[in-house]
Amino acid sequence: MHDAQTQPTVYHKNSLGGSDIKVEVRDVSVSYGEKQALFNVSLDIPDKSVTAFIGPSGCGKSTFLRCMNRMNDTIDGARVSGSLKIDGAEVNDRAVDPVVLRASVGMVFQKPNPFPKSIYDNVAYGPRIHGLASGRDELDAIVEQSLRKAGLWAEVSDRLQDPGTGLSGGQQQRLVIARAIAVNPEVILMDEPCSALDPIATAKIEDLIDELRENYCIIIVTHSMQQAARVSQMTAFFHMGSLIEVGPTEEIFTNPLESRTQDYITGRFG
Amino acid sequence: MAFGLGLDCMSIITIVALALLVMIAGGFYVGRSRAITAVEGATAGLHSLPNYHGYYVAIWTGVPAFFLLGLYAIFGGQLVDRLAVSELRAQAAEINRLLDDTLAADTDFIELNHAAENLRGRVDALNDEISALRNARGDNRDPDRLTRLRAEQIEALNLSTAAEDAVRARRQAVVAAVGADAVTDGASERALAGYELAQAPRERRQLFLSDSRRIASGELASRDSVALRAAAQAIAGYDRNVKIGAAVLALALGALGFGLTRARISSQFRARNNVERLVTAALLLSSVIAILTTVGIVLSLLFESLRFFASVPVLDFLFGLQWSPQIAIRADQVGQSGAFGAVPLFAGTAMITVIAMVVAVPIGLFSAIYLSEYAGPKFRQIAKPVLEILAGIPTVVYGFFALLAVGPAIRTLFTALGFESVVTQSALSAGLVMGVMIIPFISSLSDDVINAVPQSLRDGSFAMGATRSETITQIVMPAALPGIVGAILLAVSRAVGETMIVVMAAGQGANLTANPLESVTTITVQIVMLLTGDQEFDSPKTLSAFALGLVLFVLTLLMNVVALRVVQKYREKYD
Repeated sequence: MHDAQTQPTVYHKNSLGGSDIKVEVRDVSVSYGEKQALFNVSLDIPDKSVTAFIGPSGCGKSTFLRCMNRMNDTIDGARVSGSLKIDGAEVNDRAVDPVVLRASVGMVFQKPNPFPKSIYDNVAYGPRIHGLASGRDELDAIVEQSLRKAGLWAEVSDRLQDPGTGLSGGQQQRLVIARAIAVNPEVILMDEPCSALDPIATAKIEDLIDELRENYCIIIVTHSMQQAARVSQMTAFFHMGSLIEVGPTEEIFTNPLESRTQDYITGRFG
Repeated sequence: MAFGLGLDCMSIITIVALALLVMIAGGFYVGRSRAITAVEGATAGLHSLPNYHGYYVAIWTGVPAFFLLGLYAIFGGQLVDRLAVSELRAQAAEINRLLDDTLAADTDFIELNHAAENLRGRVDALNDEISALRNARGDNRDPDRLTRLRAEQIEALNLSTAAEDAVRARRQAVVAAVGADAVTDGASERALAGYELAQAPRERRQLFLSDSRRIASGELASRDSVALRAAAQAIAGYDRNVKIGAAVLALALGALGFGLTRARISSQFRARNNVERLVTAALLLSSVIAILTTVGIVLSLLFESLRFFASVPVLDFLFGLQWSPQIAIRADQVGQSGAFGAVPLFAGTAMITVIAMVVAVPIGLFSAIYLSEYAGPKFRQIAKPVLEILAGIPTVVYGFFALLAVGPAIRTLFTALGFESVVTQSALSAGLVMGVMIIPFISSLSDDVINAVPQSLRDGSFAMGATRSETITQIVMPAALPGIVGAILLAVSRAVGETMIVVMAAGQGANLTANPLESVTTITVQIVMLLTGDQEFDSPKTLSAFALGLVLFVLTLLMNVVALRVVQKYREKYD
C-alpha cells in the first residue's frame, strides 16, 4: 500500500532548496490508526510569503497542516514520521514542547471559533497564558495592535467588552486571526479560513492575508482555486495523501507539469 | 347475589369493551381495504397510504366509545345513587307531607320549640350585653356585673341546650309514630326507605346509602332492614339500567363512528392529515393533563396550607424556633404555644444539604472533568456505567448504610478525638451518605454538558499553545458553566427533597443547632412523621404537613428561578 501510493513529487525550479526557507519538510507521513493519510511529503516553504495547499477533499492537506503545530497530537492514534524543521529546529521531536511550539505557529480554523468571552479576552488569551505582557497597559497595547493588524480595530474598538461570539462570521474570523497574531507567531496556519464566509467577508480576509504576508510565513489550505491564485505565491497540489506538484503559484496555474494538477485546476475532477 | 348484580352485569361492560376492540380491528381493516378498492389497487393514486385510512376509521370507531365507557366508570356510580335517591324521595313524598302536618299540629312539639327559641334569644341578649360590657371604658366598667352576667350566660346556655335536646327528642318520637302509622297503612317498602333516608341526619344518610349499595351488590352490610333492602332493590334496578344504557350507547357510538368515517373514504380523502390532527390532539391532551395535575397539586397544597395558617400565624410558622407538633395537640393551645416554628426544620434541611453538596460537588465535578477530558476511551467505558450504578441504588439502602456503618464510624472517630456524647444519628452521617448518593447526578450531567462544548473551542485553545488544564479552566468550564450550575441545582433540589436517608440516619429531634454531630430533622422527615400513623385530618398537626410541603415547593421553585437568572447572566454562549 505504501509503495503503491508513493509517487515522485514534481518540483518546479527553485521550489526545493531555495533561499529564505522557513519550513523544511522531508518524508513526512501520517497515519490515523490503521489508515495512512499522508505519504512521504517533502517540500520547502519560504518565509514572508503565502503558500497555498490545494487538492480535493480527503487528500491530506489539512492533516499535513496540523503536523506543523503538532495538532495531530491531540487526536488519539495519530502517528507522524519524517522530519519537519522550522528555522532549522526539528518539530517532530519528543523534546519539543508542543505548547511552546504552538505559541510560535498560530492556527486559524475553518469555522470561526472565538472563545465564549469578550473580544478583549479573546485576543488577550494567548498573551495571558504565555505571560507576554507585564501589566494591564502592555496587554491593552498588544490587544489593540493585534486587532489593528487583523483590520478589526475600527469596528470593535468601542465594544471590546462585548462577547466575541456576537460578531458577524467574517469579523469572528478576523478576531481569531487577531488572537493568533497576539502571541507573535512566526508561522500562521490557515485551514480553509474563508469556507464559512460570504464573498465580501472573504475578500476582507484575503486582503488581510496579503498584508500579513510582509511579517509572517503563512500557509493556507483552500478549496477555492481562485483564492489560491489570488493570495498565494507558492502552491502545492495534494492528491490521495501525496504531494503531486509544488511550485510558484503562477507556474502551477498557467503551466502545470502534471496532468492531474491540470485536471484539478481546470475543474475536470475534484 | 341477592339481586343478580355483580358478575353478569359487569360482564356486559366487558363484553362491550371486547366487542369494541373487535370493531376497532375491523374498522382498521375495512378502512384500509376500502381505500385500496377505491383506486382499484393502484395505491399510488391515493392521497394517503391505505394504513392511514385504516387508522382513521379505527380511531373514530374506538375513541368516542371508550371515552363514554370511561365516563361511565367514573360517574356511573354517582348517577345510579342520584337516580335511586330521587326515586325513593318521590315515593316518600306523601309520608313526609303527613309528618309535616303532624308536627304542625303537635302541641307538645310547638311548645317545646317555642321555649327553645326563647332561650336562644336570651342567650343572644346576654352575649350582646357581655361584649358591650367588655368593651366598656372608664366609669362604665363594672367587673362585678360582668361576673354575674357570665354566670347567667352559662346557666342560660345549659337550659337552651336541654331545650334543643327536648325538641329533637319530641321530633324523633313524632317521626317514629308517623313511620309506624305508615307501615300499618300499608305504605310501600320503597316509600318507607325514602322516608327513613329523608329523616335521617346527614352522616346517617351516607351510611344508609353505602349499606344499601353493599346489599345490592351482595356484600356484607353493617345493618340489615326492610328499608335497606328496598333501597338496595332500587339501586340494583337503576344500576342495571345505567349499565345497559352505557353499553348500548357505547356500541352505538362505535357503530356511528365506523359508519361515518367509512363513508368518507375515497381516493382524495386526506386521511393522513386527519390522523395527524388526531395525534396532535392526543399529544396536546397529554400535556394539558400534566399541567393540570401540577396546578391541582399546587392549589391543594395552597388551600390546605391556608387552613393551617388560620390556626397558626404564618410568621410564627416561618420564624418560630420551636417545633413540637405533638405537644401542641395535647395542650389544645395551638396558636399560643408556638410549637409550629419551622426554623429548626429549615436549618436541619439546609445543614444536611450543605454537607451533601460539599461532598458531591467537588467529587462529581472533578470525576466528570477527568472522564470527559483526560480518561482514555477504555477507562471511560468502564467508569461511566459504574458511576451511574450509584444512582440506581435505592435510597433506603443508602439509609441503612448510613445508620449502620457511617454513623457508628463517625461516633467512634469523634469520640476518639475527644468529643463527648457523640450520637450515632447525626446530620454529618446523613449528609455524607446523601452526598455519595448525589455524586452520579452531578458527574453524569456535568459530563454530558462538558462533552457538549464544541471540540473547535478546545482546538482553538490548544492551537494558541494552551495546556490541557488551561484549556479546561479557561475555555471548557466557562462554556459549560450554565449546564454545570443546572446540574448542581438539580442535585440540591434532590438533596432537599430526599427523605429516606434522613429519616434513618439523621434522627428525628428538631434541634436548632449548628453542630453537625447532633441529630437534626428536615422538612421531608417531619412530613413523613406527621402523616404516618392514625391521623385526624382537620388538626393543625396534620395540616402543617401541607404548609411544609408548600415551603418545600416554593423553595425548589425559587431555586430554579435563581438558577435561570444566574445562568442567563453568566452564560458564555458558544456558537
